[in-house]
Amino acid sequence: MIELKHLTKTFEDSTAVDGIDLRIETGEFFGLLGPNGAGKTTTVSMLSTLLLPTSGEIRIDGELLTRKRQDLKRKVSVITQEYSMRQDMDMDEIMEYQGRLYFIPVKEIRSRTEALFSFAGLTEHRRKTIRKLSGGMKRKLMVCRALLTKPHILLLDEPTAGMDALSRRQMWNLLRRLNEQGLTILLTTHYIEEAQSLCHRVALMHRGRLDDVDTPAHLIEKLGAFAVDELRPDGIHSRYFTGREEAIQHLSGLHGTCTLRDTTLEDVFVEHSGRHLT
Amino acid sequence: MGIFTILWEKWREFVRDFSRITLAAMVAPLMYLIVFGWGIRTTMNGQPYLYFLIPGVISLTTMNGSFNAIAQNLNVQRLYEKAFDQVIISPTPLWQFIAGQIIAGALRGLYAGGIILLLVSPIKTGLIFSPLSVFILFLNGAVFSSLGIVVSFLARNHADVPRFSNYLIMPMAYLCNTFFSTDSIPRGARELIAALPLSQTSRMVRSIASGESISLMGIPLLLAYLTFFTSIALCFVYQKKNL
Repeated sequence: MIELKHLTKTFEDSTAVDGIDLRIETGEFFGLLGPNGAGKTTTVSMLSTLLLPTSGEIRIDGELLTRKRQDLKRKVSVITQEYSMRQDMDMDEIMEYQGRLYFIPVKEIRSRTEALFSFAGLTEHRRKTIRKLSGGMKRKLMVCRALLTKPHILLLDEPTAGMDALSRRQMWNLLRRLNEQGLTILLTTHYIEEAQSLCHRVALMHRGRLDDVDTPAHLIEKLGAFAVDELRPDGIHSRYFTGREEAIQHLSGLHGTCTLRDTTLEDVFVEHSGRHLT
Repeated sequence: MGIFTILWEKWREFVRDFSRITLAAMVAPLMYLIVFGWGIRTTMNGQPYLYFLIPGVISLTTMNGSFNAIAQNLNVQRLYEKAFDQVIISPTPLWQFIAGQIIAGALRGLYAGGIILLLVSPIKTGLIFSPLSVFILFLNGAVFSSLGIVVSFLARNHADVPRFSNYLIMPMAYLCNTFFSTDSIPRGARELIAALPLSQTSRMVRSIASGESISLMGIPLLLAYLTFFTSIALCFVYQKKNL
C-alpha cells in the first residue's frame, strides 16, 4: 500500500506538487493523468526518492519512505521517463549492474535475464551497447531491468513512450498479467486509452493538485456516458449526456456533420484539462 | 556489499576503455618528464632535477587520475545519462556507493601513477618506492576522488567539471611541491600551499624516494581532507532534495 500525505514539492519559483493526499491499495493498478507540467513525474520522482518532498510524507506499507530505507526501496522498481542507463554498457551489463544494486546473486541475475530477454525479444541484441539501441529497445530493456528485481510496487512514468503499436500492446498485456499476479502499479501516461484499458482507478492531476480520483467508468459516468460531436468551422465541439435518448434528442436538433458515440476517458481528460485552460 | 557493486561497475569501465584510460594517463606526465626532466636539463641540490621531478609527477598523476576518473564520469551519469538515478532508487546504501567511488577512484589514480613508475623504471635513479609510498599515493587518490564526487554534485552542466579542474586541480598540479621546492615562496603563500593535500603527498613520497627521514604528519592531514570531502558527498546524497 502506498500513502501520500499532504505531499508537496516546491522548486525555486514554482510548486510542482501541491499538498496531495492519495492512497493506492496493494495490488491496485493506478493511473496518474494530467497535462504536461501537472506534477506527475515529480510525484513519481518523490515516490522513488529521486526528489525529496518539501513537506508531507510518503508511506509504503505504513512505513515512512526515506533515502535510507533500504527495505522499502527493495520493494519498488521504477521505469523513469528518461533512459536512465549508462550508454557505454551492453544490455547484459545493465542487467547485472541492476541486479547487483539490489543484492541479487549473480547466478540468479543471469537466469532471470535470460528469461526476460527471451520474453522481450532482446536476446539477439544483448551484446549491443545502449547507445546503439533504438528507443523502443531501450524501453523494453528498462522494463526488463525493472522486473529483474521482482518488485512489489512498480512505478511507471510514461513507460510506452517511443514504442510502436505492437510493442505497446505487448507491454499492456505484460502489465496486466503482472498486476493480476499481485503487483501494485502506478502508471503515468499520455496515452489515455492505456489508462482506460489498464487502470482500476485514475487520478486527474492539474497544477500539482489532484482534481478527481475515481474509476475510469465513474469518471466517464460523471461527465456523461454519451458524447455528441458537432463539426463546426472552428473545430469539433462535444457535448455529453447521461442518457442515450437525451443525446439523440440533442443530435436531432443539430445541422451539419454530427456523430453520437460513447464517451471515453480521453473525453474526461480533455474536458478536465480544457476547463483549466479557459 | 554495495561497495563491490560499484567496484565491479568501475572494473567493467576500466576493461572496456583500457587503452584510452592508459594512454590518457600517460600523455601529460610523460610530457612533464620529457620537457622538464630531459629537455631542460638542470640539477637541484646537486642531484639531477629528474630525481626531484619523478616523485612529484607521480603524485600529481595519481591526483589527476583519481579526480578525472570520478568527477567527469559521475557528472555524465548524473546529468546526461541519468544512470545515477538508478543508484538512488536502488536499495544499495548511498554511503556504500560513495565509498565504492572513492576506492575505485583511488585505484585508478594508483594505476596511472604505476604506469609512470613503470615508464621511468629503466632510468637508474636509485629512488625508492615502498609500500608506504603506495599507501600515501592511494590516500592522495582517495582525497581527490572524494573531491571529484563533490564537484560532480556541484556541477550544473557538463562544462562545470573542466572549469573546477582549471581552478582547483591545475594550480595544485603546478604549485604543490611537484615541479619545484616551495622553500623559495614567501612564507604566507608557502604555508597555504603546504596545507594542500598534493603538497603533503609530494613531500612524503619524495622523502621516501630519496631515503630521507619522513614526517608522517601529512597522513592525518590527508585523512582530514578525505573525511571533509566525504562528509559533504554524504550530505549531498542523503540530504539534498533535488539531486
